[in-house]
Amino acid sequence: MIEMLIILLCGGIVTSGILAVRLESTVGAVVSAGLASLFAAVTYVLLAAPDVAMTEASIGSGLSTVIFLYAIRKTRGED
Amino acid sequence: MAEVMLNIAQTLILISIVFGILRLILGATTVDRVIAIDLLTIISIALIALFAHHAGRFIYLDVALVYGLLSFLGVLAVARFLEKGL
Repeated sequence: MIEMLIILLCGGIVTSGILAVRLESTVGAVVSAGLASLFAAVTYVLLAAPDVAMTEASIGSGLSTVIFLYAIRKTRGED
Repeated sequence: MAEVMLNIAQTLILISIVFGILRLILGATTVDRVIAIDLLTIISIALIALFAHHAGRFIYLDVALVYGLLSFLGVLAVARFLEKGL
């Protein structure tokens, strides 16, 4: 069952990567990139690397989404 | 009894990850996708806590704690962005 969850999470990483490339909406693309980072963090936990997972969760999914949105607002100012 | 309950919880987590990804793919608007991300974050916290019990290593619960504290920030930032406040 854990192996099925790992396979499903890796499929989720691929799916959200494809969505991040192909979506029209900029916010949707940023959010999808954050989801790829989220699933990567959970996969790191399932592969027994909790410190890497903690760093990935805080920087990849938390900080980079906020910085991307801030940069989009500063440069273009529309959705 | 406890094993049965853990198996049921694993199955429910698996099904809800599938439905969350479906909502992310099919989502008509940006708000739908943001809600799907929030749902998948909470499911992931439950999955990490379940795996901490499964593996018997309770250091994994710290990851779930950090994740629960920080994932709130991303959704909050997107909400502020959509309301043109960020």
